[in-house]
Amino acid sequence: MKGLPTWSFVLFAIFAIYPFFPTFDEHFFNLTNRSLGDQLGGLFLFAVLALALNVVVGYTGLLHLGIAAFFGIGAYTTGVLLAPVYPFNVNFWVALPLSVVVAMLAGLLLAAPSLRLRGDYLAIVTLGFGEVVKSAIKNLPEITRGTQGLSPLAPPDVYGVTVDWALDYRPFYYICLLALVLVFYLLGRLESSRLGRAWVAIREDELAATCMGLNTAKLKLAAFALAAALAGFAGSLYAVKMTSTVGPDAFDFNKSIFVLCCLILGGLGSRSGCLLGVFILYGFDFILSPILDGYVQTWVGPDNKATWQSFSGWRLIIFGTVLILVMRFRPEGLLPSDRVKDELQSGGAK
Amino acid sequence: MSLAIFATTDWETFAQYGINGLSFGMLIALIALGYTMVYGIVELINFAHGDLFMLGGFLAFTILTGMKITGESETLMIAGGLFLCFIAVPIFCAVLNASVDFAVYKPLRSAPKLAPLVSAIGVSFIFMNIGLFWGGPQDVSFPDLIPNDNLIPSGMLDAESKLQFTGKNLIVFAVTIPLMIALTIFVRLTTLGKAMRAAAQNPTAARLMGIDVDRVIAVTFMIGGGLAGFASIIYGLTVNTLTYQMGFQNGLYAFTAAVLGGIGNIPGAVLGGLVIGLVSSYGAGYIGQQWTGALIFTALIVLLVFRPSGLLGTRVREKV
Amino acid sequence: MPFRVLPVLVLVAVVLTGVFLPRPGSVGDPDVIRIVSSLPRTGSARGQTNTIVEGIQLALHEIDHKVVLGGKTYRIDYLDLDDATAAAGQWTAEAEISNAQLAVRDPNVMVYIGTYNSGAAKISMPILNKADLLMISPANTAEGLTKPGLGDRAEPMCYRPTGRVNYLRVVPTDDLQGALGANWAQDLGCQRVYILDDTEVYGKGIADQFEKQARKIGLDVLGHESIDAKTQEFSALMTKIKQTNPDLIYFGGTTQTKAGQVIKDMVAAGMDKVKMMGPDGCYEKAMIDKTGASFLVDRFYCTFGGPTPDRLLIGDGMKFIQKFKAFHGRAPTEAYAIYGYDCAVVAIEAIRAAGKKDRSAIRAAGIALENLSGATGMKWSFDENGDTTMQLLTGSRVIYTMENGAIKKNANGEPMGEYQFMKDLIPRTK
Repeated sequence: MKGLPTWSFVLFAIFAIYPFFPTFDEHFFNLTNRSLGDQLGGLFLFAVLALALNVVVGYTGLLHLGIAAFFGIGAYTTGVLLAPVYPFNVNFWVALPLSVVVAMLAGLLLAAPSLRLRGDYLAIVTLGFGEVVKSAIKNLPEITRGTQGLSPLAPPDVYGVTVDWALDYRPFYYICLLALVLVFYLLGRLESSRLGRAWVAIREDELAATCMGLNTAKLKLAAFALAAALAGFAGSLYAVKMTSTVGPDAFDFNKSIFVLCCLILGGLGSRSGCLLGVFILYGFDFILSPILDGYVQTWVGPDNKATWQSFSGWRLIIFGTVLILVMRFRPEGLLPSDRVKDELQSGGAK
Repeated sequence: MSLAIFATTDWETFAQYGINGLSFGMLIALIALGYTMVYGIVELINFAHGDLFMLGGFLAFTILTGMKITGESETLMIAGGLFLCFIAVPIFCAVLNASVDFAVYKPLRSAPKLAPLVSAIGVSFIFMNIGLFWGGPQDVSFPDLIPNDNLIPSGMLDAESKLQFTGKNLIVFAVTIPLMIALTIFVRLTTLGKAMRAAAQNPTAARLMGIDVDRVIAVTFMIGGGLAGFASIIYGLTVNTLTYQMGFQNGLYAFTAAVLGGIGNIPGAVLGGLVIGLVSSYGAGYIGQQWTGALIFTALIVLLVFRPSGLLGTRVREKV
Repeated sequence: MPFRVLPVLVLVAVVLTGVFLPRPGSVGDPDVIRIVSSLPRTGSARGQTNTIVEGIQLALHEIDHKVVLGGKTYRIDYLDLDDATAAAGQWTAEAEISNAQLAVRDPNVMVYIGTYNSGAAKISMPILNKADLLMISPANTAEGLTKPGLGDRAEPMCYRPTGRVNYLRVVPTDDLQGALGANWAQDLGCQRVYILDDTEVYGKGIADQFEKQARKIGLDVLGHESIDAKTQEFSALMTKIKQTNPDLIYFGGTTQTKAGQVIKDMVAAGMDKVKMMGPDGCYEKAMIDKTGASFLVDRFYCTFGGPTPDRLLIGDGMKFIQKFKAFHGRAPTEAYAIYGYDCAVVAIEAIRAAGKKDRSAIRAAGIALENLSGATGMKWSFDENGDTTMQLLTGSRVIYTMENGAIKKNANGEPMGEYQFMKDLIPRTK
């Protein structure tokens, strides 16, 4: 069951053969003018981001409200290294690891001073850090081109063959799927390793963990750094996917909260829950909403669209209600990890 | 370049930034009080508070435009409309805030801390969506009712002086200062206020002493909501523009103010609000308007790292 | 464990075939030529994009949605895509990419009309260029999109990965509008100017051009600062500007990036005698409606890259207004109607000139078009960068809307206003 449990293997296998059945894609395309495979690629990336956040919030139990900042740092590092404005113009496969390293260093930069803080205060510092990073991206146009974003970013090439995914979703789809499987597998191994168990010990009882001789400061640093690195990895892929770093608002507090909502809905600390949460919320935004919007539009007609007359106009109400209901009736999430479930159901005493 | 401006700046501009900063700070302090009081008792970061403030603004807008009140209406008409706003909007916000507490947060009192926090984010989403339906995705122009004339007598300063203290500055102070005094009296002197402080210190002990803690919590939410309602009217009258997103940013500033002052601490929230107002005003003046947000949050991080309990907070040992 | 190795190998094999298997191309309808437009159809720019779409519809209506190419009649089909989302309230990169991909994937699409925002164009231009699809913009004014040397390093070649030009625009660019704005400021008697911008492609670009020209013609540039358009109010900034004692504040930005709030706070800071000037991103009804006419009358001046609707009433444009009224039942509500119409005219002419339903042929024919005549009745061509040769710009101010000799009030009792054409702006000859 370590690494890749059977269910996940089946799931990933289904995704791997999805492009062989273009009828799904065509059908979805006719409904929404969007390619489902393309949306799924984005979903895989988002799942990587959610798994990254899960390291800090799920395993280690530290509330982190600024994960989007690292996503943005990854994207912008890749942007700087690839954009024609700069003289670097390196290959994407060089930019990717560099982006991961830069994001990880930023993660350490945030974590080091905030180790003393607990609970809500730590959450606030991560939130503030996220806002500072967004603000810096916006206000350093000499480096980041401000609100315009760095573009165009050249698509990567594999052995000299340029992969152009603007016209065909499949190369990117598979790269993202591969990235997801890899991260999913690694985190699964990590969960049962010494490090993973130490993180859970901190989550359960920091004082007891310290008494057992764990160096909590180092462990927390490691959690922050790993989360930042994985988020940077996802951000780097996101930037080449969009052929642009998009702009500061793509990495704001809303994104952090959105990822956190995925985790909470699916179940904190559980990889399967994490995937489920992303499937539900991201799927809602990028797959279900366009379809339903299409239907709603045929009812109300294209003219005089008030916000409440479109399905996506109700997005936040639906999100909010789901969050409240989950917290009220199933606070451990839809697919909790066994350990969390035991705790919550037996009142913490196991 | 910024430093050059700083060197050549005159005392009047400096004072003007101060006036603007204090006005904005008072407004933020009013919102921050709602955060800090709620946190003091239930240890909940009420993320929905900023959006409550936004909904209050839209209610005031609907009342005023429904009565067809504009800057050119008769003074009596304007006064009547404002009076109605100052009654209706705080009540609306207070009741809404207390209802949310009753329906959403109350069942989660004994749940892990993350549960009410996430629920508050959920409520914030719902409020924001309601605001989007109410005011639309674009900016809404709030009636310009407060005259913008300079209230500083012309003889007091020399003829070249540009320093101004307008009706808009005045109304901020005229509303917020009495409210804060009233709040202080309430919390210090009344029985309910004492119960509130007792519940904040130790809910279990307070309950054992016969205090109805649930009622105290409901009152706290009502007071917090009411203050946000007052703040929203003043915001509309001085800034003259509403948008459904304004709750997020102002809420974030107010929340930062509460933390700066030491969350749970009432004078701290006011102090934090003023600090934020002044930082944003002088920051915009001497460093650049676009850096305001970054400046405020950097200040917050630095402060928390070196003094985790805020400016006026006392360090509480975490219970283990 | 053998169970683990074998499935992984199978998975790898599947992925590899998945990538390299040829993609089944859809054939499409052989009798249809499709024109798509990608514009922000939800959110705050909706008013302006509505008239662009109405202009496109008018042009297609005039040819009865048909073209005859080589003896075969094709139906012209028009698809109106949205590159904004309700949640964002403005264009998003995701939506613009999706639209470009849709256009490329659909074999019937021959022309892509868009975008409205210059930032969005930066994203879709390279995608469409690779597909050799003709792109015509009704509203992009950032000069770097086409003009070498004026934008960033590598602009505009980075938008043309194939090296061919596939992008045309029917509006004059910011370098012209910014410069003519500075000239006009001088004509208005303003010597001391303070410049603000919203940091966006369009706003910052035009503000930089304004500054360049202002310095050249000897205006006193007191300062140039960027604002954060997410901020709610700008009182501290206005206090700072006030001490520099300007005659005019130039705002490089749009209604959506807080042009209205900037002027409100300018007045609130006591600068009620100071003028403000903005570019065509502010030339829309929403600017007046959202800000309130009382803040703008005698204070706000707006340049526009072309003739405004009331300017059209003078001269050949009248015919366009009449046609528009006959088809839509009312006059155009915003100034961009002419550019929507012109884009569709260019698209139709390019398809006709190509003589066949073929993207490359239509692209090549499009950039070679000459002596076009659109809404304004004036002739224009495209230069080698794809820019229009028409260079008529106009300046307008805000006046109160009058009705029966009194100022018209809206439903809330606030006075209403409208833009009024003041003068043609033409480059100075030395």
